[in-house]
Amino acid sequence: MQTAINNILEQIESVVLGKPHECRLALACLLAQGHLLIEDLPGMGKTTLAHALANTLGLSYQRTQFTSDLLPADIIGISIFNRETNSFELHKGPIFSQVVLADEINRASPKTQSALLEAMAEQQVSIDGETYPLPTPFFVIATQNPLFHAGTYPLPESQLDRFMMRISLGFPDVAAEKKILLSNSNSQASRTKTTPQAITVDELASIQAHIQQIQVADNVIDYIIALCQITRGQINSANQHEINCKPLSPRAGKALLAAAKAWAFINNRDFVLPDDVQAVFTAVCQHRIELTAQNYNDSQSPLCAQIIQCVDVLTPLQS
Amino acid sequence: MSNNIPQTESFNLPKNSAWLLWGCQLVNISSLAAELSTWMLAILALCLCWQALLLSRQKTSNVSPNVGSAIKLHTDAVRMSPFILMLLAISGCVAIAVSAQSFGVLIAMVHLLTFAYALKAFEIKKRKDFYQHSLLGVFLLACALIFKQDLGFSLFILLLLVINLTLIHQAFAKRNSLFNASKTVVILLLQSSLLAITLFVVFPRLSPFWQVPMANSAKTGLSDVVSPGDIANLALSSELAFRANFKGASIPAYSTLYWRAMTLENYDGRKWTRVNNNAQGQHNTKAKQQGFNPTTSGTAISYQVIAQPSFQPWLFALSVATTTDPKLVLKQDYTIQSTTIVNQLKHYQIKSYPDAPLALSLSQQSRQRNLAIKPGSNPKLEQLAVDLKAKHQSSLALSQAVLTTFREQKYYYTLQAPMLINNSLDQFYFDTKAGFCVHYASSFTYLMRAAGVPARVVTGYLGGEYNDESNDASSEDNSSQGGHLSIYQYDAHAWSEIWLEGIGWYRVDPTAAVDPERVSQGWSSALLEQQSELNSDFISLYRIKQLAWLNTLRLKLDAINYQWTRWVLGYSAKQQYDLLKRWFGQSMPWKTAAIIAMALMLAMAFFTLFYWLSGAKNSKHKVSPAQAVYNQCLTALAKKGFTKERHQTTQQFSLVINEQLPHLSADFTELTSVFECLHYQQYSEQEQLALMAQLAKKVRDVTKALNSVSTMANDTKNISSMINNKKYKNPQQ
Repeated sequence: MQTAINNILEQIESVVLGKPHECRLALACLLAQGHLLIEDLPGMGKTTLAHALANTLGLSYQRTQFTSDLLPADIIGISIFNRETNSFELHKGPIFSQVVLADEINRASPKTQSALLEAMAEQQVSIDGETYPLPTPFFVIATQNPLFHAGTYPLPESQLDRFMMRISLGFPDVAAEKKILLSNSNSQASRTKTTPQAITVDELASIQAHIQQIQVADNVIDYIIALCQITRGQINSANQHEINCKPLSPRAGKALLAAAKAWAFINNRDFVLPDDVQAVFTAVCQHRIELTAQNYNDSQSPLCAQIIQCVDVLTPLQS
Repeated sequence: MSNNIPQTESFNLPKNSAWLLWGCQLVNISSLAAELSTWMLAILALCLCWQALLLSRQKTSNVSPNVGSAIKLHTDAVRMSPFILMLLAISGCVAIAVSAQSFGVLIAMVHLLTFAYALKAFEIKKRKDFYQHSLLGVFLLACALIFKQDLGFSLFILLLLVINLTLIHQAFAKRNSLFNASKTVVILLLQSSLLAITLFVVFPRLSPFWQVPMANSAKTGLSDVVSPGDIANLALSSELAFRANFKGASIPAYSTLYWRAMTLENYDGRKWTRVNNNAQGQHNTKAKQQGFNPTTSGTAISYQVIAQPSFQPWLFALSVATTTDPKLVLKQDYTIQSTTIVNQLKHYQIKSYPDAPLALSLSQQSRQRNLAIKPGSNPKLEQLAVDLKAKHQSSLALSQAVLTTFREQKYYYTLQAPMLINNSLDQFYFDTKAGFCVHYASSFTYLMRAAGVPARVVTGYLGGEYNDESNDASSEDNSSQGGHLSIYQYDAHAWSEIWLEGIGWYRVDPTAAVDPERVSQGWSSALLEQQSELNSDFISLYRIKQLAWLNTLRLKLDAINYQWTRWVLGYSAKQQYDLLKRWFGQSMPWKTAAIIAMALMLAMAFFTLFYWLSGAKNSKHKVSPAQAVYNQCLTALAKKGFTKERHQTTQQFSLVINEQLPHLSADFTELTSVFECLHYQQYSEQEQLALMAQLAKKVRDVTKALNSVSTMANDTKNISSMINNKKYKNPQQ
């Protein structure tokens, strides 16, 4: 299993250059069966990463470009009257695939964004009162532009909460950028498409099952709870100024735990350390706790770091 | 067997703890052995043997051999059938109930307690039972202190307490060795003793809320019925009777130290008895109520007496004694009695006037009583009295004549007096001519009465052993200067008093005529030889008295015991008041002392409460043993300036250490991974124990390495710069 993981990572990193940590986070998110939100400026390689992930994991995917006039029916599908059979016929939307690439998701109106809610939470869609199950595995990989960009709608909190992680890629370093510039820009699209499949769907399922079995000690659970409680003000953030943020929900805690497990697995361990929690904390929680666009600029937002600094790793609930 | 008991409830001690439990029972019971009847001891011995048998039969199941010494052998407890146990319990209780009448309440209850204690050991099935049993053991020790409180015994009880507490400690910390466990217990005891001593000193000494029923069968010391040969038994006892402290005043000469206990005025031809208290009381109730007020004259000696419990009311003083103590009664016959039976140490203050006369006038009733003889019981003596009376005019001369007879004829002072038929004084005076003080005193008194001189027998103690070792024990306290006198049971004595016109009661000691050494020194070599022949205690005493340094040692021990008695056992409300007054100034009234004591206690109570509450709060997030060990290591590192930030994970900190203390990196990385295994992974109990051992070892290694390096150089950078300098220098050379 570990070799499979290494192959996947190698492939993704060969496409998304110079961003190993973000690649790992993205993989961890999918392995933990969570939906991924990639946020960055245009042209930073968001879509490339999404494509690479879907291809490498060998999943069927459909890409939907979200625009401000996109309607929910355009995503989930619509029943159309067939005159020959004299009945309504379902035309399934792009959501009926294992990976849904929702490009620039925050350019669609909130109504359309909400069309994804049921799909992401319950892995099913309702069309005209009928419920249709979605294929397994089912991932939504969405990309979005920062909020201050023209023509963007902020994602509602309920929608944000359904994304396990939000990552941003950030600018590449000099070496990586040199490589990107030197590579044949025309062939980039074809290279993305030809990324070979590294594992089968069955293998992916078994990895996901294995990750759920990873040991989590009480001490780690306590640590996660303490992190959540800091955001809720249930624990005083000792000696520091009050942290101004939205509270983390239990679902966020669950997401944090699942992500930490996946992170531990990627790091070839069968138990979770607080290190794992810390590694995924920003990606999992940043989009859930920030109040406004105040912290949008810096990818290494200090808000999550502040929270981590407030909690004693060894005796989390005593601080 | 324990099969029918749910696994979660069963409570099995490790084998060595089970044996410790057994040993605890043995020593706890032995501390009370002197108070228990023989048949009860036999039952208890049977129970203990039975338990030993069950213990030795227990199957040992080795939990895991590969983890090694970390895990002790656990035992599947073998238990006795409850039916037999019930039978034993019922029959034992019935036996105690039957004999309760003769035991008295206290002893019967002690029997019941000890019996229950031994039986409870058979059914320690749950943790609760174990608690109950071990606390009962401690309670038994406390009970043993009811009967005996001297220093040696108290220390012995303290030792047993340590053993008992070790047992409790061992039950919780199974991996601890017995030595370590007892060490912890001793440290804890020392810590708590500080509090105990403070409370002992300042806690208001309240009168007891209830009275422990005392055993009244165990009377010691003098008896109010004396027949010839009686005191000889006492002379073989080396037990302490009382101590007297003269507070710096010079102690009267040995031969004048006649400690009066009681006067015996009634003689029925065989034995001397005291005048019936009631008869006397009815005669002058008024006087009794007001208390007898003896006329005093001459110089006074004041002293303090500490009497050992004798379970009898009479006390000891030199004549003519006066006291202001309301709990003492001065009797018409110049003796002193306690209003209650002396069942614990009794301190009292006496002022004596040795030169004052006793009863210058004699009432008609009293004269008659002191002249009464049983006509015909000793015809030869009566005849002799008539002859003597004819020869000598004055009573004094008459008495001197009798003494001369004792002195000049072949009378022996001996403990092994020949048996007298019907206690005939004739036989003693004319035939056997060998006897102890009572023989001489009785025959002398009888002779005097027969000759018409009022006479009576007085019993008490003569002399006492002077001990000035207690002198330096508390030199700032001048009350203890001059040492003290210890009076033992073998100092018991009987003498006579005759009433002379114009002089009052006049002390005549016929024994002095027979064996002057006895009276002037307290022990004659002839008597000591006899005593050592009859009682092995005296062999050592005899020898010790001959070896100077041993005797000093003995006196030193006696002095320590005296101080213990005086300051610890006799620490009364008054002494507490005096002590506090000395500490906090003269003017401090009693109320202030009480307020200070209460304030102290309240402060302690609050402190305890606070400590307890904070403890309760912390116990929610208990630090695991692994973390405690890891924290030790962190503290050691923090002292050297390497502090783990709270948000740093163990791995992150390990990286920091690797970078900053490269020589520790291997050890610390391993330590971190072991700690992570314990802290973040789920292992079986045995694996955890092994890991714990490994962790503790690693922490020791790291701490050691840390300390050794830091002594070499405080700053690693210094070393590296020195090395660099060398490198640059070397090519030049």
